Amino acid sequence: MKFKCEKELLEKTFSLARRATPNRSGTNPVLAGLYVELKKNKLVVLGSDLDLTIRIELTVGGEEDGKVVIPGALLSDIIRVLEEGQISFETKEDEIQINNGKSEFNLRTLPVDEFPKFEEPGGNEATINTKSLSNAFEQVVKAASMDDARPILTGVLLAAEEEGLRLVATDSYRMAIRDIPGTEILSRDELVLVPSRALDVVKRILNEDKELTVVLGEKEAVFKIGNINIVTRLIEGEFPNYKGLIPEKNKNKLIINREETLAALQRVKLLAREATPIRLSMTDKKIELLAIEQDIGQATETIDGNYSGEEITVAFNPDYLIDGLEVISTEEVSLETTDALKPAILKGLNEENFLYLLMPVRVS
Amino acid sequence: MRLVFARCTVDYEGRLTAHLPEATRLIMVKSDGCVAIHADGGAYKPLNWMNAPNKLVEEEGVWRVSNPKGEVLIITLHEIFSDFSHEMGIDPGLQKDGVEAHLQELLADDPSFLVEGLELIKREYPTDLGPVDLLCRTSKGETIAVEIKRRGEIDGVEQLTRYLDFLNRDPLIKPVRGIFAAQEIRPQAKVLAEDRGIQCVVIDYDEIRGVESNRLRLF
Repeated sequence: MKFKCEKELLEKTFSLARRATPNRSGTNPVLAGLYVELKKNKLVVLGSDLDLTIRIELTVGGEEDGKVVIPGALLSDIIRVLEEGQISFETKEDEIQINNGKSEFNLRTLPVDEFPKFEEPGGNEATINTKSLSNAFEQVVKAASMDDARPILTGVLLAAEEEGLRLVATDSYRMAIRDIPGTEILSRDELVLVPSRALDVVKRILNEDKELTVVLGEKEAVFKIGNINIVTRLIEGEFPNYKGLIPEKNKNKLIINREETLAALQRVKLLAREATPIRLSMTDKKIELLAIEQDIGQATETIDGNYSGEEITVAFNPDYLIDGLEVISTEEVSLETTDALKPAILKGLNEENFLYLLMPVRVS
Repeated sequence: MRLVFARCTVDYEGRLTAHLPEATRLIMVKSDGCVAIHADGGAYKPLNWMNAPNKLVEEEGVWRVSNPKGEVLIITLHEIFSDFSHEMGIDPGLQKDGVEAHLQELLADDPSFLVEGLELIKREYPTDLGPVDLLCRTSKGETIAVEIKRRGEIDGVEQLTRYLDFLNRDPLIKPVRGIFAAQEIRPQAKVLAEDRGIQCVVIDYDEIRGVESNRLRLF
């Protein structure tokens, strides 16, 4: 195999494909590599951990067809540090030679026959404009759990609602719900649980100029954007009944400026290390943030806002509160509470399509 | 334990020089020789202190505390309000909540807190390198070695890696995968563990012992 390609294109391609290679060495070491196949001028790069597969096609200056598996982390790191310009690749027995200017690397390749064969799953296909989707993924993906002990919660629920598509993610401490009216990729009442890891990759490459095609199979889904295909195994199991968790009516409502509150939280959070919550005291006269770190000290800051309801202090995990505020796009946000132990609702003012449900932390 | 309430000034000479101006303070002299000067505020930290071993020399109106490192604490007593001692006996020591043994016991009772469907094969599974906290089996028949820590640091990952290397030489149980479980896992330890194919699980101690946690959940 022999080809040449610009560094910029290769760097993007390999670093993206590498996202699908497993962090763990596992039982199949060949998966730590990226599968690279050249046919004339078409290069296919593929990374996979068997749950997530990223396949990228690009046009290069091909000289000799072939296929090879190259250690993914090393390849990506090498390409990143090479000088700008053209990089050439040439296989020699069980090695691949990478040349760029004065630099030359010879890497041992992995057995290409051991790399799993992939067939893209078929299924219902729908094409979506990516304009609203990028923001929606941004708002929801972070609320999914990272803990593999409860696999259901590591996924983002895609649900068909009357007005369009709904995305839901929760780690049991907070939950993000985003509606995308007018988007239909599922049949009525259909539910699909997509690993948040896969949507995080999709989110990174969504481009407003391009369309996203989603293919939903029985056990797998494919997201196609331009020359990139992301294939993910779907999560099986029943997602929690999230609708029943949303309070119908909260008696206390605080309206605050999003950016000012975020800045105040970041300041006060300096005195809330590790699992220390931030207390939010609300009266009709004063809104105050307070962090107390035993043995170090405390930080308080008053913030401007309009509050209607009873005098109340509710404590939150500051990181979760910040995560929610960061993904809201309106200038002002509302925080609705019932009491210090029931879920609070955070949403953009007059923004009906996104809701962030956040459990308080119990404090004495 | 000797407690002295006195109006005093304190001068420390050692790694730096420090001076406490005249004020009323509590001077604690512990049976092991530690001396601490407290103000009427703060949870536990004295204004100044000298750790044992110390030598305390009491002179008229002046106490001189010195240690082998050459540090000296001079307490000048202007007025003594109270001076009494009390024999406290032997302290049983702090019994911390969530110690590893208790976590191990709780997780041995129900390993599914770590991964759904996980079942215990043996607690304290013996190896030549020492006992593995838990040896378990997944619902798919996969063997899992679990190392439990209160605080997950790189040392714990290294320890589990050594166990896994050893266990994976045993044809009867291999392949063996690792789970590193702790109440809190340092980011460096998590990166190292995942790089080595070890799954990290953060344990909610309150949840597994059935105590209501301060971290409230939606469901």
